Amino acid sequence: MAERESASRHILADGFWNNNVIFTQLLGMCPLLGVTTSVENAFWMGAATLLVLICSNLVVSLVRSMIPAAVRIPAYITIIAAFVTLVDMAMNAWLHDMYLVLGLFIPLIVVNCAILGRAEAFASKNSAGDSLLDALAVGSGFTFALLLLGGVRELFGRGELLGYPLLGNDYPDVLMFILPPGAFISLGLILAAINIINQRLENYRKQQAERAAQQAQIPAVEAG
Amino acid sequence: MMFDAEQRRMVLTLLIVAVLAALLLGITAQLTRQPIAEAQRQAMMQSLMQVLPAHANDPLTDTVDDDGIHYFIARDAQGKVTALAWEAVAPDGYSGSIHLLIGVRPTGSIIGIRITDHRETPGLGDGIVRNKAWLASFVGQRLESRRWAVKKDGGDFDQFTGATISPRAVVKTVHASLQHFARRHAQLMQALKGEHHG
Repeated sequence: MAERESASRHILADGFWNNNVIFTQLLGMCPLLGVTTSVENAFWMGAATLLVLICSNLVVSLVRSMIPAAVRIPAYITIIAAFVTLVDMAMNAWLHDMYLVLGLFIPLIVVNCAILGRAEAFASKNSAGDSLLDALAVGSGFTFALLLLGGVRELFGRGELLGYPLLGNDYPDVLMFILPPGAFISLGLILAAINIINQRLENYRKQQAERAAQQAQIPAVEAG
Repeated sequence: MMFDAEQRRMVLTLLIVAVLAALLLGITAQLTRQPIAEAQRQAMMQSLMQVLPAHANDPLTDTVDDDGIHYFIARDAQGKVTALAWEAVAPDGYSGSIHLLIGVRPTGSIIGIRITDHRETPGLGDGIVRNKAWLASFVGQRLESRRWAVKKDGGDFDQFTGATISPRAVVKTVHASLQHFARRHAQLMQALKGEHHG
C-alpha cells in the first residue's frame, strides 16, 4: 500500500518537476516559442496539450500488448493525431475566439515530441492508471512552464498580466520579449533561475544531512 | 504476394487503428459541425455589428452580390438601406493576407473597419487590430477626404513604430475597396432597389 503510494508520488514529482518537459528535457519548443506571448494563450495551449496527452497515454497503455513492436510508432502517431484533431474541432466549436488566436499551433500538437515521448517511454510499458498519472504530471508540468514563460513575456513585453496594466499604462512595448527570440532569452533566464534554486536545495539538503551525521556522532564520542 | 503471419498482423493492426481513429473523428466532426457553423456565424455577426449601424434586418442573410463582392446590407425599419459592409483581403501583409471588413454608408463614407483575420507579428504589425485610435482614424472618411497612404508614403494615415508594412497594406486595400465601391455605385444601388421591390 505504502509502496504503491510512493510510486505514484514518484511519477507525479518526476513528470511535473524533476523531468519537466520544458525545464529539464527542453522538448516541445515549438508551442513554447509560438504561443507564450500572453498568459491566456499559454493556458489554453497547455490545457489542449494536457487533454491530448491524457487521452493518448491512456489509449496507448490500454492497447500496448496488442500492437506489434515494429509498427508501434505509426500506431501511436495515428492515435495522437486523432486526439489532436478532436481537440482542434472541439476548440473551433466551443472556444472559437481562442481557436482564432492559437490557430496553427493546435494541429502542431501532433509533432510535440513530448507526447510521443510519453507514449513510447511510459504508456507503452505501464498500466493505464500509472499512465494517466504520468500524463497528468507531465501535462501540468508543461502547462506550468508555458504559464511561467507567458507571464514573464506578457509582463515585461507589454507591462500587463492577464490584460491588467501592472507596470503602468504608459509602459512601452518591449519587442524583445514579444518576438520569438525573446522567448528563448526569457527561457534561458528562467532555466538559470531554476538551476540556482535546485542547487541551493541540494546544498541545503547536504548540509542538513551532514549536521544530522555530526549530531549522531557527538553522543557517541561523549559516551566513549 | 505472400505475407507471413507477422507482416499480416502488422498491417491488420495499423488498419484497425486507422479505422478506429477515422470513426472517432467522423463522430466528432458530426457533433461539432453545427456548433462550428454557429460559432463562425456569431464571430462574423460580431464583426459586422462593429462596422454597421443599428439595423432592423439581418445583414447576414440580406445580401447582394456584385462584381465578385458579397455585400451585407443594413436597413432601417422602413426597409431603407442605411449601410453596406463587405470583406476585403490585403494580400501584402507582413506575414500573409490580412482579412478585413469595411462598412460604409450608401454615400461612401466609412462607418468602421475591422480586421477579421491576420498573421501579423504580435506587438508590431498586430497594431492594426489592437490600436483603437488607428482604426478610428478611418471613421467618417471618404475617397476624397484623405490621401490614402501611410504618412511615410506621403499620406494621412499613421504607421506604427517598427511596423509600416501592415498598416500600409490595410490602407491600400481600404483605398482600392472604396474606389471599387465608387465605380460600382450606380449598379449596386440599382441592384438593391430591385431586390427591395422584388
